[in-house]
Amino acid sequence: MSTGGRIAGMLLCQAGTERVAFAAHEVATIESPSTFGGDAGSARQAYDSGPAGAERILVAATGEAVGVDTLEIDAESLVVFPAPLLLGRIAGGSLRGFVQARGALWPLMSLVDFGRFLAPSSREAA
Amino acid sequence: MASTETETRQSYLVFACGSSWYAVPAECAAEVVSFPELTRVPGAPGHLLGVFAHRGEVIPVVDMGVLVSGESEPTRRAVLVRLSRGTLALTASRVAGVSQVDGRLEPLGANGVHLHLRGPARSAQRDVAVIDPDGLFDHLSQGS
Repeated sequence: MSTGGRIAGMLLCQAGTERVAFAAHEVATIESPSTFGGDAGSARQAYDSGPAGAERILVAATGEAVGVDTLEIDAESLVVFPAPLLLGRIAGGSLRGFVQARGALWPLMSLVDFGRFLAPSSREAA
Repeated sequence: MASTETETRQSYLVFACGSSWYAVPAECAAEVVSFPELTRVPGAPGHLLGVFAHRGEVIPVVDMGVLVSGESEPTRRAVLVRLSRGTLALTASRVAGVSQVDGRLEPLGANGVHLHLRGPARSAQRDVAVIDPDGLFDHLSQGS
């Protein structure tokens, strides 16, 4: 869990109408649904925000993946707020904190843990 | 006699969400705020409306209507409850102010959130459910 401070290099993404952010260093590749060969859940699922389609798939070096609708790369140093203790178990414990960018808060997720949480196989098991 | 079964004459902040009145110990009630547009949190349960930044802290907002009765009560006001483990905001459609609460502090239910609501109690001729802040925090932490 983040302890606060600043972070540089973020992917600021939209999932439906909602915001979600990932640290750029966690993202090994960005793929399209047509080229991605693995299983990826969509971040929309975690918001119950419409169909689970995605335009881009963020893939971690270890293979976990998350689909998002849009993304922007932000190289600036951003303020990170620690995640409240109350939210420690949210989305399988994948919430790392919140970044302040573009005048709004963005939930900062671990790509690996959020990918596992959203993975079709784990959701079917649940 | 256990503390949960004793009568209370403490001071509480009394507030309503919808038609239900609640009382939270005054020493935990930091302030009443109008919160801005919230940031939703992926994977959050329905009673967790989102978060907002306030004085350098990210604060989760809990819809008391959804949490207690399953029915949302639209409002942009909340009571900030400050505990050593963090702050949470409980939605409030009306705030009556600080007053004493008379009654007993026995759990209003055997499980779920009602285990952390105590009574029967009254304040200014209203039936109120007295919130056990630490118990509620634990419940919300486990439920999310």
